[in-house]
Amino acid sequence: MVSQPVAFRWPASPTELPKAAFHREDVFRLEIERIFLGPEWHPLAHLAELPKRGDFKTFRLGDAPVLVIHGDDDRVRVFFNSCTHRGTQLQTRSRGHAGEFECPYHRWLFNNRGELLAAPGSDRFPAAFRKDDYHLRELRTAEFHGLIFATCSAAAPALATYLGETAPLFEQVLGDGRLSLLGYQKVTFSSNWKEYNDNEGYHAPLLHRAFRMLHWQAGKGIQCATEYGHVGLQAQLQSAANSDFLNDRSLVEFRGANGAAAPKSIIIALFPLVSVIKHLDVINVRFVIPHSVDETEVHYAYFCHQDDDPAMIRHRLRQSSNLLGPSGFISLEDGAVFNRIHQGSLTPGRVQYQKGVAAMAPPPCIVDQNDESANPIRWEHYRKIMGFERDQR
Amino acid sequence: MISADVLAAIDELQIRYISALDRRDFDAWLACFDSQGSYICTPRENEEQGLPLALMMDDCYERLKDRVSFITQVWAGTFEDYWTRHFIQRLACTPGNSNSYSVITNFGVLYTSARGRSEILVAGCYADEVIVSPAGAKFRSKKAVLDTSTTPRYLVYPV
Repeated sequence: MVSQPVAFRWPASPTELPKAAFHREDVFRLEIERIFLGPEWHPLAHLAELPKRGDFKTFRLGDAPVLVIHGDDDRVRVFFNSCTHRGTQLQTRSRGHAGEFECPYHRWLFNNRGELLAAPGSDRFPAAFRKDDYHLRELRTAEFHGLIFATCSAAAPALATYLGETAPLFEQVLGDGRLSLLGYQKVTFSSNWKEYNDNEGYHAPLLHRAFRMLHWQAGKGIQCATEYGHVGLQAQLQSAANSDFLNDRSLVEFRGANGAAAPKSIIIALFPLVSVIKHLDVINVRFVIPHSVDETEVHYAYFCHQDDDPAMIRHRLRQSSNLLGPSGFISLEDGAVFNRIHQGSLTPGRVQYQKGVAAMAPPPCIVDQNDESANPIRWEHYRKIMGFERDQR
Repeated sequence: MISADVLAAIDELQIRYISALDRRDFDAWLACFDSQGSYICTPRENEEQGLPLALMMDDCYERLKDRVSFITQVWAGTFEDYWTRHFIQRLACTPGNSNSYSVITNFGVLYTSARGRSEILVAGCYADEVIVSPAGAKFRSKKAVLDTSTTPRYLVYPV
């Protein structure tokens, strides 16, 4: 896909960016093309969401509807969710099970491998018509610890290269990938997707008052910033010194399972949008849809491990429901900030990052756990993809 | 046949409950539950797919008390506030054991943001177990099942 470049000058300083980046429609359209439909890898589902042959999930890649299907040959494929005839959205349910997918408009019929089986009235189609040319449009996919990644572009590097230094962290969150789905929390934030994904370690002990109320200090930790704009944070979690604040302390209790010896907080914030998170016993993947410049929809998916006993499943369920989601004890305030940045960034000027930026190094690099210096590194990756020029110093 | 007095006590409880929420009086909200009370708020999408995760899982009285401190102490002053108006309609009431009743009630909740715009927050159905005693009615369990699978903003308050 080739589009006109967007003229948008960026400040000379690598720790600054124009607030207009969160509001310009032309920038958003270019992001869809260059990032979401471009050579980046996007996690769209975990196998636990479609464990059986014939299971499917619908989602969006940027604004394009996609259909993830576990085929009857046991392969998981990702397709554009659009009939190859007139482009009708093929499946509208969020999840389900199907042997075949029939477009309601002219009854074109596809199997769960995406192959066109039948097109009514094809005796009156042009002689050159071949069913093989009208299979569902399949995206390039790769699986990692059960996460299904897809890209629209042949130019995306191998997934392992793309994930870089964050790759070893996936095992600590998703284990061997044999997970079961506990359910979803879905919410829409009135913010730009880049405000949603611009969180860092600086705010955590300051915004989230629960940490202070519990006298819950983070232990030793680091962030790594990678060449492709991902940030991986890992920190030891000590137990809360004042858990008496809670009448039900199980909310912040670590039970551990599947080889997890010590409580940790692990956040793999992938570029552009998806994060993969372990906090105490919560296993969480946040899938995201950038609907428009000022609307971002997040699907928080929670998992347990297939080897968990019933008590552990129940513990994960109770912790996952109340701790870390859009209405979570230690996370609710994030939503308020996303919305407030989006309003505040309607003012003129630039965003400037401060904490830790004096020590910034080119990626891959290590960043202190409570600094915000990984953010300018991700922004630099973004700026290069988008082709925005910086002012000369 | 359920007596008019029992139905009146149940309706009075539901009105006391939504009034507490709309006034943001969370001690009054807590007082709607008995000492074994529980509250679950979950999207219908999870229910229908057999997924047990909830948006709020206060499955014991300790968690109900904690919910009040989250709202009044932990989150206070950080979130963008919003005002709600709950509208309810009882659909069914079935007697259970002794003084317990299973009650199904539709709800719709409007919300008004600080910017003054009013929109629909959620729509759904309560499935409640109500205990009626001479002292009045209380929830043994209250489950708000949301038709709204993607809420238009993050929920601070119970529904």
